[in-house]
Amino acid sequence: MELVRGEDVRAFEVVFDRHGGAAYSLAYRICGSRSRAEDIVQEAFLALWRNSARYDPLRGSVRAWILSVVHNRAIDALRREAVEAQRVRDEFLSEQLSGSESTEAEAEKRDDARRVRLALEQLPSEQRRVIELAYFGGFTHSEIAGMLGLPAGTVKGRMRLGLSKLRFALGAGLAP
Amino acid sequence: MRAGEHPPDGCERSADAAAYVLGALEPAEAEAFRQHLAGCALCQEEIDSLRPAVQALPMSAPQRPAPRPLRRRVMRAVRAELRASAPRRRAFALRGLRARAALGGIAAAAALGIGLGVGLGLSGSPSGRLIRAQVLGISGSAELRLSSGRGELIVRHLSPPPPGEVYEVWLKPPGSKPVPASVLFTVDQRGEAVVGLPGSLRGIGAVMVTPEPRGGTTAPTHSPVIVARLT
Repeated sequence: MELVRGEDVRAFEVVFDRHGGAAYSLAYRICGSRSRAEDIVQEAFLALWRNSARYDPLRGSVRAWILSVVHNRAIDALRREAVEAQRVRDEFLSEQLSGSESTEAEAEKRDDARRVRLALEQLPSEQRRVIELAYFGGFTHSEIAGMLGLPAGTVKGRMRLGLSKLRFALGAGLAP
Repeated sequence: MRAGEHPPDGCERSADAAAYVLGALEPAEAEAFRQHLAGCALCQEEIDSLRPAVQALPMSAPQRPAPRPLRRRVMRAVRAELRASAPRRRAFALRGLRARAALGGIAAAAALGIGLGVGLGLSGSPSGRLIRAQVLGISGSAELRLSSGRGELIVRHLSPPPPGEVYEVWLKPPGSKPVPASVLFTVDQRGEAVVGLPGSLRGIGAVMVTPEPRGGTTAPTHSPVIVARLT
């Protein structure tokens, strides 16, 4: 990152090669569209390029920073589209939640990715579902409660339980 | 309710912690919880405990390599910015302004959990068009810089947004309601900011800014304080 701060394009290429796949994968998982995912990843990396001088390693890794920007922008795009197009939520559910089903078919090269995925899949389905709807679907707890016919408190409780178990399952491998 | 679904003893608000780190609270709830966090060590501890799990979630997505054309696109844009940045800074004597605004933007985004509004491929060519914007009801000045159909809003000596609010940018097509530009910003201590607008501004009649609650809204709830007319 020091080299990127110095406007070293080659160093930035290395950063893209190191984190571009994870960023694209997250954007694609949320948007379900290659073109939108590419736009979002491009925006995120340009933001990194423009703001690299302000990157503070004490506040998290470069990967965490990039993925946070990708997530925010992808969810924002998803919500904007939902507002504009009055998208049918059931269709979204059936499309977006198929990610874990196709997991086995994906060529898996990264141990940490496989570990996180396995930990998520081992959660009780009701906990995994609310977490995925919130994180990958961009739905609020009250929207999820309405979709699933549950009290809002139950949804929030399942989120907390699921995240706690995930944290425990991933253990020391997670950055604090 | 099963064991574990109760909030931890000591603070009933910590039941909102998981939804908060997942970004799943309603905007007003998120703001209230954010304020609560400032004075509640228990909830902050809960947040610190859960956040790593949320930060790991992206890796649960099926991993795909970034397409090669995307890599070329990104690097082409980076090189273009690098070439354009020096003359732009000289021409407009705004050295450091972007960095300061970026700092404000990052800090705001980090604090508010919102996305950064950044422009794509903004050209710094001298042929860019500069539009003076109207500033309504607050002090300061604003200009919209256009280049290759994309825009950058530059504000100076602008009053900060009211406490608990941020500035939100809107794009208004002629004859239609404004749509969110997905850009929230605040200003630094000197009232300065440079705000890149994502996407093309072709077909947009005006760029507007309103103060809105942190996290932004999907429709303006206040009258605009900045209006830049493109047509």
